[in-house]
Amino acid sequence: MQDTILRTEKLCKTFSTGGIQQHVLKNLDISLMEGDFTIIMGSSGSGKSTLLYALSGMDKPSLGEIHFEGENISKLNNDQLAIFRRNNCGFVFQQIHLLDNMSVLDNALASGLLVSKNKQAVAAKAKQLLAQVGLNETLWGKFPSQLSGGEAQRAGIVRALINSPKMVFADEPTGALNSASSDSVLDVMTEVNRNGQSIVTVTHDITTALRGNRILYLRDGIICGDLDLGAFHADHNLARHEKLNAFLSEMGW
Amino acid sequence: MRSCLKWDGKMRIINLAIANIKTGKSAVFSLFVLIFIAALLLNIGTTVMSKMSTFYEDKVEELHDAHVSIVMKSANYKQPYGDFLKSYSGVKETETEQMILLPTATIRFDKSDFSIRTALLNADAERTVAPLKLIEESASDKGEGIYIPYGLKVRNGYQLGDNFTLTYQNKKYSYRVTGFFESTLMGTSKLAMLKFYLPDAAYRQLSEELGPAADGTLISAIFTDSEQSGALLSDYNNQFPQSNEAVDPSFWGADMQTAESSSALIVNIVAMILVAFAAMIVLMSLTVIKFRISYSIDDGMVNIGVLKAVGYTSLQIHTSIVLQFMLIAVAASVTGAAVSYAVMPAFGGVISSLAGLLWTGDAHMGTDLASVLIVTLLVLVVALLSSMRIHKLSPVAALRGGIMTHNFRRNLLPLDKAKGGLQFVLACKTMLANSRQNLMIGSIIVAITFASVFSVVLYYNIAEDKTAFFQMLGAETPNVGIQVEPGKDSEQLLMQIQQMTGVEKANILDYITTTIDGQLVNTDFSDDYGKLENKSVYEGRYPQYDNEIVVTGGLARLLGKNIGDTIKVGVGGASHPFLITGLNQSFNAGRNGASLTMAGVHHLIPDHKGMSINVYLEGVNKSDFIRDVEAEYGSMIQTITDVDESLESGTRVYISAVFAVMVVILAITVLVVVLILYLVIKMTILKRKRELGILKATGYTTFQLMTQIALSFVPIVIAGVIVGGVLGSLYTNSVLELLLSDAGISNVQFIIHVPLIVTLCIAIVVLVYLVSMLVSRRIKRITAYGLITE
Repeated sequence: MQDTILRTEKLCKTFSTGGIQQHVLKNLDISLMEGDFTIIMGSSGSGKSTLLYALSGMDKPSLGEIHFEGENISKLNNDQLAIFRRNNCGFVFQQIHLLDNMSVLDNALASGLLVSKNKQAVAAKAKQLLAQVGLNETLWGKFPSQLSGGEAQRAGIVRALINSPKMVFADEPTGALNSASSDSVLDVMTEVNRNGQSIVTVTHDITTALRGNRILYLRDGIICGDLDLGAFHADHNLARHEKLNAFLSEMGW
Repeated sequence: MRSCLKWDGKMRIINLAIANIKTGKSAVFSLFVLIFIAALLLNIGTTVMSKMSTFYEDKVEELHDAHVSIVMKSANYKQPYGDFLKSYSGVKETETEQMILLPTATIRFDKSDFSIRTALLNADAERTVAPLKLIEESASDKGEGIYIPYGLKVRNGYQLGDNFTLTYQNKKYSYRVTGFFESTLMGTSKLAMLKFYLPDAAYRQLSEELGPAADGTLISAIFTDSEQSGALLSDYNNQFPQSNEAVDPSFWGADMQTAESSSALIVNIVAMILVAFAAMIVLMSLTVIKFRISYSIDDGMVNIGVLKAVGYTSLQIHTSIVLQFMLIAVAASVTGAAVSYAVMPAFGGVISSLAGLLWTGDAHMGTDLASVLIVTLLVLVVALLSSMRIHKLSPVAALRGGIMTHNFRRNLLPLDKAKGGLQFVLACKTMLANSRQNLMIGSIIVAITFASVFSVVLYYNIAEDKTAFFQMLGAETPNVGIQVEPGKDSEQLLMQIQQMTGVEKANILDYITTTIDGQLVNTDFSDDYGKLENKSVYEGRYPQYDNEIVVTGGLARLLGKNIGDTIKVGVGGASHPFLITGLNQSFNAGRNGASLTMAGVHHLIPDHKGMSINVYLEGVNKSDFIRDVEAEYGSMIQTITDVDESLESGTRVYISAVFAVMVVILAITVLVVVLILYLVIKMTILKRKRELGILKATGYTTFQLMTQIALSFVPIVIAGVIVGGVLGSLYTNSVLELLLSDAGISNVQFIIHVPLIVTLCIAIVVLVYLVSMLVSRRIKRITAYGLITE
């Protein structure tokens, strides 16, 4: 029996532009389970990224509550949310967003040392993670501009994992990568999920979606589909692919 | 058609420039304020300096005042004296006038009594030279009371209707102040003579009461060219050896150049400090402009690419950037020049109180134009040079974000190895990544710290601990000064005073006017220089024997002499060679000063006695002592002065001038620090918006990021403050020596009060930190979510 790690109650998000109100998320009640690789899908403008960043404490909901391991984070102020994020969340962005003026290793340490003062332990963990995602030592001292897209995104994943977050939030992690780089990044994400890491990913990409075990489909701010895809196995991917396609067809994808 | 296209092109450039200005309003405002302050100070400084160069000459002309005046008892006056002036080369007009001459009358100066040589003239008498011209007159008491110099109003606070009392030979003569007039030579106590006018009836009454002993003669001369007036008194002295102060104590002579140098000096110093400070701010503004242009090119690289792609030429884009800064510079400098008219009266008040003459705030179009031109031209040059690289950018390179502005070849301070907390190390990384920007901030901090230290040292030494100030001026600081009644035995009185209870020491310190190589030299003499509190000799030693002399450094340079050389000193017909044993300085004597022993003076004026006794007290109440001296030796004493009080009131005008300078410099320092940090941090935050968003997303709080930014300035600011503080401590005296060299001051040993400077430096660092924290609060507006949505 899996534990609920994240739960929303009547989550709403409304944007106001030039006096016009746009309700992006509408009364969402979602529960995310520990150890799941949850995929959020939906057409453009459906509110996927808005939901992801509301769930992660990056943005505040307009109404409703978000409970992370029982703690209501929707009432936290900006600084409390920052502390919440550093202790509980890891982020992987479509645009990667590594710090340009820092080396690969320093990018990981800049997050890691926020939580732990033990430089040696954090550095050792960062190096282990870097090696684990396939970034060899020669790349650790390089700057983001000197890396390929795939290498940079894997460095981004290391940064997301450095504080052993309870949940990794990924927004189109392969959106800016070519096919080969995408596969390497997805392999890393699948691997860390297998090791028990909870992940929530927003994507348009079927290949990425196939890595998840649960698919949530969002349309006009409402979850209109929830598919249990089962754990990813490279060998049984065809059946999962068909199941996903059927689900997406049903959702009007 | 063609001209229409050209005009259209120009309009597009202007529109681009205006659009750029509109997008960065707060940065534009900060730059505007910086350039405005620079233009304001520059305009005030240059206006004061240019006006001061002709101020006295213009004043003499306006008042039809004398370039040279000589006063003596009528009994000592001889016709050849007047004839000499009349026939002197360059003299175009002379006049001889009868007056009442009081060798030492006591008048109230602020809270103390001040003894001074006084001339009382008949207000209703006909005269062509220096006709009575009142600048303020009582409407009700017209034609009555006394007319007093304007200097007594601005320096000592006398107002129309006030009671004015002259004490002469223990008798008080009281009048009501009914008007103020200006006088270049006899309007302040600086030249040891004050002139007053009494209406005919009062004049005659006083003249009758005082008798013929108080009859004096005033000889005045106006020159065609004021430059020629400088040698008249010296030539007069040579021509009439019996008519000088040493032989005739009632004799007094002064010329315009002496008056000018005694008053204009401090005004010029203040003006020079303002100009120097303005130059510093102009430099800062230019540095900020350069920084801002580089930033806006980096930031707007893609826009530049788009503009180039759609057909704008490099020149058009370049011109729009330059134009943007030119518009700011012209607007700010014109406003600065205009506002200087509003600020000038305040400076005019200080100048009036120093010179005792009315400073009029006339239009100064020439200097206005020069200030505006200087500032805008400098901005133009810097803007042109800083944006030159636009020409080298191809549209494609610009659209791709241009050339990388940062070089990341070395990862400085790797986080796993660097010592110190995360915040500090990240701050240091930021600092190292922005070395050029930090160099700019460091240089600015060095400059403003230097200026602040300079002003604080100046203020401390003039307002708090005046020891070094008096030493610099060569002014002796006894507690009580006694002027012995002419004809009485001063040496006997000295001996008796030395025996009195509470007298620590007493000596004679008086002066005579001598001539050395054709120069009139203010020569003091003492029975014992060892008793002086302020040793003004900065090289060599005081004279000990009758054939020794000390001269001012300025005079030594003028004569081409040095310690060990012999010079011939003359008084009237007598002269004697003296060996130079030391160099000193004296603000009062100016460039031409010397010191002799009492025995040395006797070579020139046999049996001459010093009539001024300086008394230094210890463990006795000063008022009691003065009362006892008056009671016991009153018949031998002409006046007793509370020197402490006189010095206090005498230096008040300097204190207020220096205080004003200090306040201006410190206020501008604070403003400049705030503005520059505002500009730099704002640009830094904009530039690092994405990075700050990432850091926020990964869990950094706003306060942590604010601290990081504030801390990133701290090392360079501390370094700048240390360098500026050390330079200020080491070179303030040298700068002062340079500023005061024209006044004959060669050696300044102002006390560098280290705790005060350390406090100032700490205050600057704290100010920078607090301002940085405050300005970087705008990080709060950057959200992690904005990273994705923007």
